[in-house]
Amino acid sequence: MRYRTYLRTGLTTLVIAATLSGVTACGAGSRTGAADATAVECDYTMPEAETTVNVLAYNSSAIDPFTNTMVKSCTRENVTLKHDPIDFSGQVTKTTATLSGDTGSYDIIETYGFAVPEIASAGSIIALDDYVAEYEEKYKLDALNEGMRSALSYDGKLYALPMQAQMYVMAYRADVFEDLGLTPPKTFDDMIEAAKTIREQGDIEYPIALPMNATADVSTIYQAAMNSTGTDFLDAGEPQFDSEGSRQALEGLQSLLPYMDPQVTTFDQPKVQQQMYNGTAAMAIMFSGRMNDLTLDTNSKLAADFAFAAPPSIDSDAPYLFSRLSVDGWAIPENTQLDKDMLFQMIASSVSEDASRASVPAAYPAREGIVTDESSKYAVAANETTAGTMPAPNDPASAPVTNAIRPVLVQVLTGQLDIEAGMQDMQRLAEETVAGN
Amino acid sequence: MRRREFAVLIGPSLLVMVGLLVLPLVRTIQWSFQEVTYGQVGTFVGLSNYSQALTDPRFGRAVFFTLLLTIVVTSIILVIGYLIAVGVNGLGALRPYILGSMLVAYVLPGVVGAVSFSWLFDSNFGGVLNLAIERLTGREFLWFTDTWPNRAMIIAHTVWHLLPFSVLMILAGLQGVPKELREAATIDGASAWKMHLYVIIPTMRGIIGFVCLITIMDVLRTFDSLIPLSPQADAIGNESIMYYVFDNAFRDGSQQLGLGSAVNVLSILLILICLFPFIRDLLKEAKTKA
Repeated sequence: MRYRTYLRTGLTTLVIAATLSGVTACGAGSRTGAADATAVECDYTMPEAETTVNVLAYNSSAIDPFTNTMVKSCTRENVTLKHDPIDFSGQVTKTTATLSGDTGSYDIIETYGFAVPEIASAGSIIALDDYVAEYEEKYKLDALNEGMRSALSYDGKLYALPMQAQMYVMAYRADVFEDLGLTPPKTFDDMIEAAKTIREQGDIEYPIALPMNATADVSTIYQAAMNSTGTDFLDAGEPQFDSEGSRQALEGLQSLLPYMDPQVTTFDQPKVQQQMYNGTAAMAIMFSGRMNDLTLDTNSKLAADFAFAAPPSIDSDAPYLFSRLSVDGWAIPENTQLDKDMLFQMIASSVSEDASRASVPAAYPAREGIVTDESSKYAVAANETTAGTMPAPNDPASAPVTNAIRPVLVQVLTGQLDIEAGMQDMQRLAEETVAGN
Repeated sequence: MRRREFAVLIGPSLLVMVGLLVLPLVRTIQWSFQEVTYGQVGTFVGLSNYSQALTDPRFGRAVFFTLLLTIVVTSIILVIGYLIAVGVNGLGALRPYILGSMLVAYVLPGVVGAVSFSWLFDSNFGGVLNLAIERLTGREFLWFTDTWPNRAMIIAHTVWHLLPFSVLMILAGLQGVPKELREAATIDGASAWKMHLYVIIPTMRGIIGFVCLITIMDVLRTFDSLIPLSPQADAIGNESIMYYVFDNAFRDGSQQLGLGSAVNVLSILLILICLFPFIRDLLKEAKTKA
């Protein structure tokens, strides 16, 4: 009897605990709220049947304003827009799955310049040029930045409507720099010198913070370093991992490692933000979409001490800054069963002037004239970076090649493999991937 | 029971099992011999996926790590689970509260528990345990990038997560040991140690076998906890078999579903080999009781 009583008590407790944790877990992953989003005109032809439009877009402070505006403004009468929370990695996986069959789970997908060539060349998303021509005046689409349109184009056609761009920006502790008579570094050597000075001062052991997590973060960092030298992963489809630019990039990144947390290859952007919030780093380079968080005093008592600058170049002879320009936009899957005209008007409304204005300062909208030097604390740095970043290349093999070389890149940066052997391994893997693509 | 009643009662379960277990298993075996991408009909490639997996040193490391984790975690859980169950069994009114608080670790969603656990070792988020261990040992540990400290953290998390279930099961077993047996052993002068070793443990062999079975199955399927606990699992040799499958078959838009299926078939064989002694014992016991 006693055994049964205890078992019953234990199981009751289990059920209560499971319910409580279930409730909290559901709360953590509830649908994206669009209640306080900006309302804009979304004037499409109403379908006669009840229609659900499924939207795939990862959650971040820079993307959410556009997604929420679209969900709020275009949901009416027979049409419901549905957007479930998801992270970037989940979006990448679901994009591949939804675009693969004759029918898919999503009708509008968020995508970015790096991915567009691969899915556009496969015929998985539709060209938008005809719709742009038809609705250019209605949604003032001519104000979308030409360079950002180009970043989302493939083979001369536009495949995604640009909403916003991200570029690397350097955040630094203005109080620490001022106390030590330092200025924002212009090269990697300057960064190292500044880091040495800060470390000698005694409070900050690892002054430099970069997102080098062994995922897309680390390959983006490597690509940004290569871009600073004027080279990229692929040049006209040919892998460049055994080039001088690749060597410079790897040597440059390795030279920064002693001044970064020893576990930096597990740090994603939120962890780098956390280093800045905690005051355990004095300078960090991340995508601009992460910078607004640093300006909020609800996130850190150091918020007022953060200042922003364009990132350095890899050296004084480098033609470009250590940066990547990543352009996000909306695309329409070829396999959607819904009216594509209706879908285009939805995405066009989400990048309207009002929606773009409301996204500042969290985002850097594609619509020209929205971001001025006064828009945010990091607007000057973002504008300067945009002008000094190597133009984004478009190649269908970029994404698979990046996935293929990443494990070797991590081995090089963690010191398990020397640079020369790593360059040769990455070159071989990239050539095999290009050949099989 | 009439045949018709039997069919009506068993039918829904049978339908669900065929739909959710048998069909996916058949499809997995089929795909393991094919090159498959989303939405496309597979192309037969013979044993190519199997040879690719079996000649990949990374897969070998994943198998080694998974087996190591399984053996260490199962051993710790059996010993500590038994000791805690004995302790809890001796408690009075506090017993349900202690049990209830322990079960929180078991019912928490895997990733949520793993993220919280990782923060105990992450100085960016307080890292209370990391700080305490550093103070005690005077050494700095790289919990996320050094192989063995990372393994220790993963083992600690897996034990923390699975231990409550084992304690509950073993406690139930302890309650089922006949009082007369204990009294007889006491009259015969058995010490506490001998009482446990020769009377209690043999009496609840079935329960211990069941705990082993469930723990081994759970640990062999370790996957989601590694995402926060071991962000560069592959690079430091702490990748589990399931993580290897995810990384190859799905991650970052990868579409090696054939390779993933082949590794899954190999995993099923590995699980069956690991569980064979326990399944055999359970069947024997069931047969004896029947």
